[in-house]
Amino acid sequence: METIALIAAAIILGSGALATGIGFALLGGKLLESSARQPEMAPQLQTKTFIMAGLLDAVPMIGVGIAMYLIFVVAG
Amino acid sequence: MTRSTKAIIRLPLLKWLVIEMAAVITLSLLWLLESRLAGYSAFIGGLIFVIPNAYFAHRMYRYQGARQASMMVGNMFRAEGIKLALTAVGFAAVFILMEPVHVPALLFTFAVMVVLGGALRFLIQPKRQL
Repeated sequence: METIALIAAAIILGSGALATGIGFALLGGKLLESSARQPEMAPQLQTKTFIMAGLLDAVPMIGVGIAMYLIFVVAG
Repeated sequence: MTRSTKAIIRLPLLKWLVIEMAAVITLSLLWLLESRLAGYSAFIGGLIFVIPNAYFAHRMYRYQGARQASMMVGNMFRAEGIKLALTAVGFAAVFILMEPVHVPALLFTFAVMVVLGGALRFLIQPKRQL
């Protein structure tokens, strides 16, 4: 049971980190690209990036909570 | 440079914090109807979201403007990493140090606050100062 819980936590954390990394890389890349294309729009783009960053990390944050529960309560 | 870029966007950090804390206290009071432990756990769950999120919002706007675009993006990556690490440390500390913990109250309040945090950013957006 403990091993399964630890494997589940590892999968949750790993896939969450991977997805967040890809999402933030795309988001940051687009922000740089758009800021270079239209420098006067940079503040608005930063605000939109900030809003999207909040939406992007919502699911991995919940995943972190569940993974910590699996590690420290179920397997601990 | 810093003074001129700081004047570009005003972050409504205090307004966000007040609304988020009001939501955390309301949810804690609702969970308090079940038991005292549930109310306390719900409050802790809310704080685990609010503190890293406030740090992220504060750190994200340290650099502004097109001239500092690369620093802006690097800062965003660092802020996000620290936010996730703070959340993980918060949960680990609660599960290790807080021995009787009401897990459904803790995780439910945290999940509600994550959704509410995203909605708040849409509803109360940072304003551009003229």
